[in-house]
Amino acid sequence: MEASCHFAATRAAILDLRAWLAEGGLPEADLAAWELALVEAANNAVKYADAAARQLPVLIELSVGERDVEARITDHTAAFDWPAEVNLPDADSESGRGLFLIKSLTDHAAYERHPGRNVLMLRRARTLPGREVSPDVNQLQNRLADAESALTDMTAELSSSYESLVALFRYSSELGAHADLKDFSQRLLKDLVLIAEADYAVLRLISPDGNKLETLLVLPAAGNAWLDSVDLADALVSVEAAAARNCEDVWFGPEEPLGKNDPLRAVMPAGIGICHAFFVAKQPVGTATLGRQQADKPFTAAQVNLLHTFVDFLAIQIVNARLLDERTVARVTRRELEIAADIQRSLLPSSIPACPPFEVAATCRSALQVGGDFYDIISAGDGALLLVIADVMGKGVPAALFAAVLRSTLRSMPQLFNQPGELLATANRILFPDLSRVDMFITAQVAYLDPRRQKIVTANAGHCPLLVFEPGALDAMALRESGFPLGIEPLSRYAQSETMLPSGGTALLYTDGLSETRNAADELLGEGQLRRMLAETAAQTCDADAGKQILLGRLADYCNHQPVNDDQTFILIRHIA
Amino acid sequence: MKLQNPNSQTTLVTGLLELVAANAAQVRDEIRAALPSTTVCLDLDLSAMTFLDSSGLGTLISLHKTLRSRNGTVRLIKPAPNVQQILELTRLHRVFEIVNG
Repeated sequence: MEASCHFAATRAAILDLRAWLAEGGLPEADLAAWELALVEAANNAVKYADAAARQLPVLIELSVGERDVEARITDHTAAFDWPAEVNLPDADSESGRGLFLIKSLTDHAAYERHPGRNVLMLRRARTLPGREVSPDVNQLQNRLADAESALTDMTAELSSSYESLVALFRYSSELGAHADLKDFSQRLLKDLVLIAEADYAVLRLISPDGNKLETLLVLPAAGNAWLDSVDLADALVSVEAAAARNCEDVWFGPEEPLGKNDPLRAVMPAGIGICHAFFVAKQPVGTATLGRQQADKPFTAAQVNLLHTFVDFLAIQIVNARLLDERTVARVTRRELEIAADIQRSLLPSSIPACPPFEVAATCRSALQVGGDFYDIISAGDGALLLVIADVMGKGVPAALFAAVLRSTLRSMPQLFNQPGELLATANRILFPDLSRVDMFITAQVAYLDPRRQKIVTANAGHCPLLVFEPGALDAMALRESGFPLGIEPLSRYAQSETMLPSGGTALLYTDGLSETRNAADELLGEGQLRRMLAETAAQTCDADAGKQILLGRLADYCNHQPVNDDQTFILIRHIA
Repeated sequence: MKLQNPNSQTTLVTGLLELVAANAAQVRDEIRAALPSTTVCLDLDLSAMTFLDSSGLGTLISLHKTLRSRNGTVRLIKPAPNVQQILELTRLHRVFEIVNG
């Protein structure tokens, strides 16, 4: 094609050539490259033409081969040296990019000088259809399809995760307002059924004894099918028991049907299902089972994830609620024990009346605020004393209250102080109805200390024996005669014993917290060792108060000064020479 | 080609169809002549431009230098893909601020 030697003409010619190349089936990328390369070549042919050359046309020849396209541009300029290397000019330069573009857009460029004319030869490989496409288009399409389906799955999972997240946040905020675990579980399970596109759900919790799965919820509730609890041992019968025992999800459906006697059949007679056992801190908490009527529509991985997420969240809430309950109970109990200890302390006599030639010292040490022990020392007239030591079976406020009642009851019968047996029998008759109603009883020992006759008159209602140590004896002796504790029999009778307490003699009334003191090896002190301790104490001092301190010290030594786990209460009586 | 002045500092040139050896110098001179002295932002709308050669690039650079002398800039608005390709091939996309969309 020939074009007059000016820019507009060459430009128009090149547009025609472009159209011709397009008809030849060249792709757009090749067309654009040739358009620009030819424009740049023609520009030079025009730009450098002198007045004479302007009269001659610019010739552009194109040949399209199978593999490449060649162009020959003939100009009539004075020609120039085709540089070996073509570099981009400075960014600010307004010219000098033409050759660079030609070189960049073609694979080969050569400038031939001839007499009176110059020929620029350009060659560029054709972009063949499919050259840029991977030879294995099928493989690529398969990968694309895989990627798309993975993307669809991820989107589905993301949206279900989003739903579950939103739901869980809602539950968390609701939980503060409603502490009812069952109500909460029901709403959570309903949402789970909806989101996971299930038809049934069963939620069971491990029973407190850890042996059974007890039904908490069955959805839909309208089904009216209630499920009896399942023995965890029945793993062969019940998929729920199997899931809980083996710590794994169990799937069931047409290929792995529920056992003939599986209780779940009552709720899910057909279809498919999955049973998920849930744990907190590796402790099984319960099972959740989702069922779907359509057996040919298995649960997707995303739906199984939903089940796990929801139920594991629920498990934490269940365990938290239980811990909260336990802590509340513990707090109430602690407060109760503090009250009990206050009552117990208030019952103890603030001072001990003198009773020469006897000296009396007493202590009541409560172990960790547990209060069932008490003692009382009352003036009984004629210089005598009534000593009472008792242990109310049970702990806390009820035990302390009965201790108070016993104390008042005994104090209200001064006429019977010198008859301890009768005193206990009467007290038993008065207290029996109240004690038996709450299945409580009291062991007690009453001692009438008679200084005139230098005797101790005692009666015992199921309490530890009175220990008496006489100077010169090898061991203390124990007065074992005893009747029923108070509150066991309405008409119990109590034998009365009289024991001489000679000069230098020592007697001990105590509660079993003393003989049951344990050492580091967890061995009980026992009555025998307590008797020996008493004998040693008696040999060391003749002062009741000092004796009390020595005995306390020995007991502390025995248990290696660890806090004792039962009350330690005793009354020490000393006959001062 | 049409010049507008949306505000005293901005001039917008639209209707640039081709910028080639045949018209490059003319376009350059027309824009320069019509450019208000207050313009520091010259927006060249290239969305209608179908072809650009090295002479056209020269025009763009010439305008760029004019604006730079005023502490201003030339912005190329929405160049078509083939124009963008030529700018990239000659590395001039680093010189101009190119506004797409």
